[in-house]
Amino acid sequence: MNRKENGGDSLQPTDIPSTGIEPKQEMAELPEAGPEDANASVPMARENEKAKAVEAIKQQVDADGSPWLSVDHEPRTEEAASSVAVKSVSVKKPQSFFGERPLPAIEMAPRVLFHQSRRDFLVLGAGALAALTSAGFLLPQDTLSRMGIDRNMDSPGKEWFLNKALRIDDDVAEALYSGTRRVPTYTKSQITPLKNNYNGATPDLGYISGWKLTLDGLASGLSISLDIRNLLTRFPMQEQITRLVCVEGWSAIAWWAGLRFDDLLRAYSPMSQAKWASVESSVNLDASGNPDPYFMSLDLATARHRQTLLATHFNGQPLTVDHGAPLRLLVPVKLGLKNVKAITRITYVAEEPRDYWAERGYSRYDGI
Amino acid sequence: MSHSTPPDCEPNATSTLPEQPGVLVVRKHHFLVRWSHWLNVPILHGLILSGISIYWASPVYQHNPDPNTGNVDVAADIGIWICAHMPGLHHYSSPPDWIYNHMSLGPGMLGLALRLHWLCAYLFMLNGMVYVAGLVMGAGWRSLLPRRTDLLDALRMFRYYLGFPFAKLARRKWLHPFFNTKYNALQRAAYFSVPVAGLLSVATGWAIHKPMQLHWLAALFGGYNATRVWHFWLMWVDILFVVPHVTLVIADGRDTLRSMIVGWSTRLERSEVIASEP
Repeated sequence: MNRKENGGDSLQPTDIPSTGIEPKQEMAELPEAGPEDANASVPMARENEKAKAVEAIKQQVDADGSPWLSVDHEPRTEEAASSVAVKSVSVKKPQSFFGERPLPAIEMAPRVLFHQSRRDFLVLGAGALAALTSAGFLLPQDTLSRMGIDRNMDSPGKEWFLNKALRIDDDVAEALYSGTRRVPTYTKSQITPLKNNYNGATPDLGYISGWKLTLDGLASGLSISLDIRNLLTRFPMQEQITRLVCVEGWSAIAWWAGLRFDDLLRAYSPMSQAKWASVESSVNLDASGNPDPYFMSLDLATARHRQTLLATHFNGQPLTVDHGAPLRLLVPVKLGLKNVKAITRITYVAEEPRDYWAERGYSRYDGI
Repeated sequence: MSHSTPPDCEPNATSTLPEQPGVLVVRKHHFLVRWSHWLNVPILHGLILSGISIYWASPVYQHNPDPNTGNVDVAADIGIWICAHMPGLHHYSSPPDWIYNHMSLGPGMLGLALRLHWLCAYLFMLNGMVYVAGLVMGAGWRSLLPRRTDLLDALRMFRYYLGFPFAKLARRKWLHPFFNTKYNALQRAAYFSVPVAGLLSVATGWAIHKPMQLHWLAALFGGYNATRVWHFWLMWVDILFVVPHVTLVIADGRDTLRSMIVGWSTRLERSEVIASEP
């Protein structure tokens, strides 16, 4: 594609001057050539015939000339052609938009070239130093120690900076969120196994008999306690097969049923200034089985999403202890770590509440 | 080919040194292209190292739990194999972590790795915009576009590279295939596809980062799980590009490497070939 065009282009420097001259020479000969031809055919007015012959020869020149010639010839008027002819060496033939252009060659004073180049090398060196410094500043201490840097490089600035970057990502996630956009739902044949991913030990099922859900921060100013029968009988049940995505990267498509968080919010409206729900589980345990209450922040906009459930059933059966019996949060627009198991308390608050995993270096918003 | 003074050259620079003749150079890389090129080095390091730390939390490639160790991770298997077979590693403290200790920030730091990954990912996207701006402003993008003749020319280049070491050993003449463009077909294929791979990395990254709000994007790559596999292998495209890229730049000599730092090259022949080849 290019070779041809480049070839055409390349002929310019030597040939363009002649394109300006050749037609002139031919035109100079015209007065003699024209009448001869005319005499051989129908006799006509000499002036008209001359003009016609010029036309004919002009066309012939265009037709015989190679493509670059005709293209180059076109935009110029006859008068301009002779005067521009010599200068037109530098006139570039228009190329295809996608065609590669020759690299521009320039003449530089050696000193200028040297100084510019030295500057560029120095900038690169400074950049490399800056990159190494920021790596030392940003990398985890474990990584640095493994690389043989034993000096403690942890600084409050590092946490601040990384959290700042994380907040930007949270803001992007919040901007992407739409209250009306549904997450994809699946069919029962697409269901995949869901493992028990309790971070610590799985609680003993003894807690279930005395379980109650406490609601705080309500408009009424009251503290409400609900048992599972209240919840199951008072609210319509919703079913959905959605994907649960873990921050670790794995995911599972599971069949859930429960009441809508939105229905609970309508039945027990939060105080007017509330923007957040703090969802807690007091039965959560750490790895060695000691109580390790789990608390999680959820913005009320997400709580009101139609696919945000307070799930009571998994795969058509009441929740097992593994999956957070008797009531867990199912919020498919958030990472799995926001899907609190065995909820014991929901508190509506105005300010963003504490979040278990945000305090351990993860994002706060976790919108996916 | 014009011999005019470049616009950014100080006007009196040549006049102060009238005895020194000017040097003819070609402008090869726009400064934004050069900046984004070098910025990619730390950014991609950050992305890959933190990415493999994230991979550790839930490996894409798993098998049934090993009856003895309970291990499911293929990367851990590779680490175990390396420690068993490499001299000096027999007493390595945690063979399953060997890969993660040497190819990532380390195992067991998902939260930190995620934060670094997002930071580098945003920088990578910004840097990509700088690169595209440089390509447009320096008009370098035309040199990257694939041509009809590229497949055959790429095979010729490939044959050249394959035969080169043998020809050197045998002290035989081994001619570089002729081309009259900024890049040869193999370079063009690489320099065109790597930005595309970068773009796909960003797209698959967003798809697995926001699989609900951008579920259509994950669907484009075959669903959430398939997109994770895409994202993983796109990293390997980058790595597999960098190895021959660096090798060949070093083999090609000083001018090529320098031109990515200073922007100009003294190799005029290609610019002249374009300008005067019949």
